[in-house]
Amino acid sequence: MRWLSPLEPGDRHHTLRTNRFEGIGDWLLETSEFREWRGGEGGADQAVLFCSGDPGVGKTHLK
Amino acid sequence: MSLTARNSSSLVIDRLCNQTREEGLAVAWLYCDYQAHQEQTVINIMGAIAKQLVGKGGIPKDIREAFQEAKELGGRRPLLPDLMRILRIAIAKLPQVFICIDALDECLPKDLPKPLESLRDIVRESPRTRIFLTGRPHVREAIHRYFTKAVGTPISSNEDDIRNYVVMRLDRDDVPEAMDNSLRAEILRIIPEKISNMYVDISPLSTMYTY
Repeated sequence: MRWLSPLEPGDRHHTLRTNRFEGIGDWLLETSEFREWRGGEGGADQAVLFCSGDPGVGKTHLK
Repeated sequence: MSLTARNSSSLVIDRLCNQTREEGLAVAWLYCDYQAHQEQTVINIMGAIAKQLVGKGGIPKDIREAFQEAKELGGRRPLLPDLMRILRIAIAKLPQVFICIDALDECLPKDLPKPLESLRDIVRESPRTRIFLTGRPHVREAIHRYFTKAVGTPISSNEDDIRNYVVMRLDRDDVPEAMDNSLRAEILRIIPEKISNMYVDISPLSTMYTY
């Protein structure tokens, strides 16, 4: 499988999951934008959901 | 990327992964990292997506053959057309595929168009595929070029997020004797309010936009 890519997204996800702050950002999963995208009824036109986050209240600042 | 945005990506991935068994969907993702510019080529990005999708339900015969052939040619790595072919085969075998790419802004701007173009080609062929992207607002234009009807939603730490974070840090305080109830209450009142006000000036929390 390394033949396909040297990147290991599973490792990164595990680290982020382990250090995740519970209860932060959960509200996204309840927005209508997320639900509609997740429902997948819109075909190719609604294939993409883009979440934009400014730097500012970043991890570095809160630590 | 803000704390909340990065948290959101891993939350979305987990939410989807939890539903993979019951609904037969497949999830592939990548967290971009500004320290890994050299590795974040379109080939490696699409390869990382392919790697996660081909594993589901066994490696198809034609992919095994392509690998075998490359091995015989001295370990030649696949090129983009090879990867796109592999992805097409893998996606066609799955009921629905979700692809999540976090922090697109951490790719060099010159590296962005190719992965977006490849994702667009995937969606054109498999319209049920869903793509979740995160990044600082400036990557919106690049996304819009390939997905004119992409839905955007700003992610930022709202007051509740900040309060939850502060509560967690206070609970883990290593000098708890220096804290009393009134100080704690004051911290919990002032910090979330100040930070979220500061943030609202940059990006209105309540506006959702479609472009």
